[in-house]
Amino acid sequence: MSAPDTNSPSAFLHIGKKRRTKEDPRFVTGRGRFAADIAIPGMKHVALVASPYPSARIVSIDARQALASPGVVSVLTGAELARHTDFLPVGVDAPKVKRYPLAVDQVRYAGEWVAAVVADSRALAEDAAELVEVEYDPLPYVIDPEQAVRADAHRVHADHSSNILFHRKFVWGEVDAAFAAAPHHLECRVRWGRSSTVPIETFVVLANWDAGAGLMDVWASIQMPKYPDQLARALRLPGNAVRVHFDVDVGGSYGVKRGIKHTVLVAHLARSLGVPVRLIEDRLENMRGGDMQGPDRIFNVALAYDDHGVVKGMRIRALDDVGAHAGRSPLQLGKPVGAIIGPYRIPCVEYEPCSVMTNKTPQEAVRGFGQSPTNYAIETAMDKMARSLGLDRIEVRRRNLIGPHEFPYLIPSGTHYDSGDYATVLDKALTQADYDDLVRRRDAARAHGRLAGIGISTCLEPSGGNSSFEVLFNPKNETTTWMDSALVRVDLSGSITAVMNTSTSGQGHETLVSTVVAEILERDPANIRVIHADSLNALPSNSPVGSRMAIMLGGAAAGAARRVRANLLSIASHNLGVPVEALTYAEGSAWVTAEPDRRLTWDQLVEIAHRKFHQMPPGLEPGLQEKYVWEVPTGGGLPTADGRIQMYPCHSFEAHVVYIEIDRDTGKPQIQRYVCGHDCGVMITPDIVHGMTYGGIAHGIGAALYEKFAFSEEGQLLAGTFMDYLIPSALEVPSVSITDHCTPSPLTTFGQKGSGEAGYLGGPAAIASAINDALAPLAQSIDELPMTHEALWTRARRDPLEPVQRGHAPSE
Amino acid sequence: MKPAPFEYQRAQSIEHALGLLAEYGPEAKLIAGGQSLTPMMAMRLVRPTWLIDIAGIDALSHVTIMDHEVRVGGATPQYVLEEHAELGQCLPIIGQALAWVGHIQTRNRGTIGGSMVHADPSAELPLVSVLLDARLILQSARAGRRELLAREFFNGPMSTVIEPDECLIEIVLPRWRASRCGSAFDEVAIRHGDFALVSACAQMALDAEGRCQQAALALGGADNIPLDCSAEVTALIGQLPTEDAIDGIARSVVARLSPPTDLHASADYRRALARTLCVRVLRSALARAGERTGTPAGQMA
Repeated sequence: MSAPDTNSPSAFLHIGKKRRTKEDPRFVTGRGRFAADIAIPGMKHVALVASPYPSARIVSIDARQALASPGVVSVLTGAELARHTDFLPVGVDAPKVKRYPLAVDQVRYAGEWVAAVVADSRALAEDAAELVEVEYDPLPYVIDPEQAVRADAHRVHADHSSNILFHRKFVWGEVDAAFAAAPHHLECRVRWGRSSTVPIETFVVLANWDAGAGLMDVWASIQMPKYPDQLARALRLPGNAVRVHFDVDVGGSYGVKRGIKHTVLVAHLARSLGVPVRLIEDRLENMRGGDMQGPDRIFNVALAYDDHGVVKGMRIRALDDVGAHAGRSPLQLGKPVGAIIGPYRIPCVEYEPCSVMTNKTPQEAVRGFGQSPTNYAIETAMDKMARSLGLDRIEVRRRNLIGPHEFPYLIPSGTHYDSGDYATVLDKALTQADYDDLVRRRDAARAHGRLAGIGISTCLEPSGGNSSFEVLFNPKNETTTWMDSALVRVDLSGSITAVMNTSTSGQGHETLVSTVVAEILERDPANIRVIHADSLNALPSNSPVGSRMAIMLGGAAAGAARRVRANLLSIASHNLGVPVEALTYAEGSAWVTAEPDRRLTWDQLVEIAHRKFHQMPPGLEPGLQEKYVWEVPTGGGLPTADGRIQMYPCHSFEAHVVYIEIDRDTGKPQIQRYVCGHDCGVMITPDIVHGMTYGGIAHGIGAALYEKFAFSEEGQLLAGTFMDYLIPSALEVPSVSITDHCTPSPLTTFGQKGSGEAGYLGGPAAIASAINDALAPLAQSIDELPMTHEALWTRARRDPLEPVQRGHAPSE
Repeated sequence: MKPAPFEYQRAQSIEHALGLLAEYGPEAKLIAGGQSLTPMMAMRLVRPTWLIDIAGIDALSHVTIMDHEVRVGGATPQYVLEEHAELGQCLPIIGQALAWVGHIQTRNRGTIGGSMVHADPSAELPLVSVLLDARLILQSARAGRRELLAREFFNGPMSTVIEPDECLIEIVLPRWRASRCGSAFDEVAIRHGDFALVSACAQMALDAEGRCQQAALALGGADNIPLDCSAEVTALIGQLPTEDAIDGIARSVVARLSPPTDLHASADYRRALARTLCVRVLRSALARAGERTGTPAGQMA
């Protein structure tokens, strides 16, 4: 089989074609099947009792009144739960930082769950939860991450040596020498606010313990690697006593649906009470105690550069406030190691990540796993460098972008970038935005006394999920396997079913798999069914994280389909009496290339496979099904002593161009033009890629301008509802124009790269760039997200004696 | 987010609703559109023991346009006001304000009276009621009807002088007689549809020479209650309104503010927004009043 010319989408039958997705009909007609749609007779419901204190000893818990309340089945405390379960895993080497689903002896953040009430309905459980009397003895607390790193700070976990979970200075290359030699330096402090992804669906889990079979069935809105395994371990059950049903629809995630603590709690309740138990987090529980807040970082970025704006070296310090427990959150400082120089030719880097705990809600994985904040920090420094030299920001980027012929490009921290043509994508975005016109428009606005700015960002989306940050950040962890898998089966009727082995949280995997299998077998994707295995009959998977499924699931589905196709050709060869090389396969039929009339149709081939053993080639299994399990491309390595390692295999690229005006008298920003140039290699389903990119840009607008889980100095969450945690609506998100480019990856089946984080990885940087361009004539800047209306007004405010300006010019 | 236990009853008439209110006592609450009350109940911030539903009472849902005033039933849904063409002609400020009230979905259910008695200090409809010097008709089984001015009604954030057994029956919105009348509403919220950080509205009438005959200004979100600024705008009466005069009014309004500070806006920021919005709504109202005759009146003198 000859490799398709991946530069040309027309080389494909189905890949890259516009087609209705497989999932959307059920979603748009209200026929999705979410975890909350699953009800088992006799099911009980959970409500949580949450700590009002950011730090306190639990003196006593009196549940007598709650237990006497109507419909109440049980009240569970942390101490009781800890007797029957093991603590939840930690991503770094910090064994004393123990987290249980319910606080044991001590609470470490306001909102932490202290007790669980089980009742006949959620409403009754909430009624009773109010009656649980918890006596607390308040303890000191630490809220500010820069205070928390100090040696004399209150320790969030007294048994751990400090509040620091991970701290290391990586030096890759001759950084000191580069800084000594360069004629120019700059240093800046950049702050990424504590935002997250906030899906419509909160975390939902239903567990049912079958005591006769010794089996725990779980339906959950999950997006998480190794979830069944972690659950079994925490429950002290063998792995095959937990069955997670991956066939429930998940109402959004982009990282945060990691409800392992919720699941251990609910599964324990189901087992101990002998009834099915369900928890549907409400929004208050989700935002305050659901452990789903995102990175919260202070960067110090230093650049050394020459007169032309060519970067000679970079130093990044990143302090990340992960909140009160560890989990996997420290690792979000690790993934950016794989793209630590962005798309730029920076020869040496020093990177000093520090993960610190505070008495705040714990951090969870968020779209990009820490890459978007790092991209924002690097891009901010690039803009400042251009400004310091009086150079154009676009020109400065051009001088530093890695060229199209430099791939594979080895970056100082040990990753090879697979492919790219960054300057071309940037040019396409500038053309699409009519950049010269934007400049004229900005300058005209400025001439009229208005504040207007153009934002630029050029950023990478590492993809493929070779999660080597685990071994890099934890020497005791030797996990280098990041596999995925698929099974393709053709039944007696000739219908094709593909099995994927993990959950889907809106990424369109059914469309992905059906398209890929259709491509290989040359059948109609509309007729290919894609199902989700449960965890007991699943092949190995590392779940849809790390922008990896187009690459890993797509590759696995193609691999399995190719094996099926090879079997079909083997059957044809045996029955037509010619070697496989003499055959042509198209649209399910195989014929002798030289004599096209000598052929076997799809139905005939399938019938032989299933029913006519006497016509089967020797050694071929009856039936028609094949599996394919594979390791992530470039995966499997351990880090060098100085911390160099190959991180993700593929690198998508995006260039954003944004035009914003700021109302000087109110600080209100208005995004009037938004263009994104995007290259994720071969797009398997362009509509899905574009949809995720639009969503990523909206998400990025939220992080840049609106969203923040703000805490008071006393450790109370101030933005615990949608009244105060402000997600941009359709009225805040402008029309977005995307322009595509395709640089295939040489590492993947069809040249595809990841795209699940597209838009979000460059959006915040571009918006900040536009805001700061608008403020530049005032010699002002904001290097902290979100850039609130008031922060903008504070920088933009004029002499109060000047007259009030008219409002915004109308947008396009 | 499940409300504390409560009982529910649908009232068949105003009298029925008032009777139930009297019977169930101060822990009972009326519900109409429920756009503010139900989230507060879900968060258990309010815990009525009884909900008396007045949404289906026809006598509470009407728009009656008369020569000198418009009478609106307390449970009239906001969308009804928004889509009422004649109301849009005679009191355009209502439509201008409603464009800022929540979203289409919430305006389909939310009522004018609900917004009034909820009394959020940055809500739009209470602000317009103060601007227009509206009269509110309250009724209880105990004391019958009474009538209050809107500016007497609000007495603090989320607080009014309504008695627990009273129902807001009707809102009476005066019409100005002048033909050359313009109005404007503007606000700054972080997102469209959020409660405003600060909101302002103005209405102005001009004589044939472009002199200000009548003017009103009200400011929301900048104080505990919707702020009536009619005292400040009297400076314009009989004058050809100038930019300086408008800015002077805005400054004198700001001088007496002591706005709140919260997560999204400091007092200083609110003061600045108050000045900006006062100027903008006065300018717009003036310009629109000027447009009513097609003469150049209304331009800055």
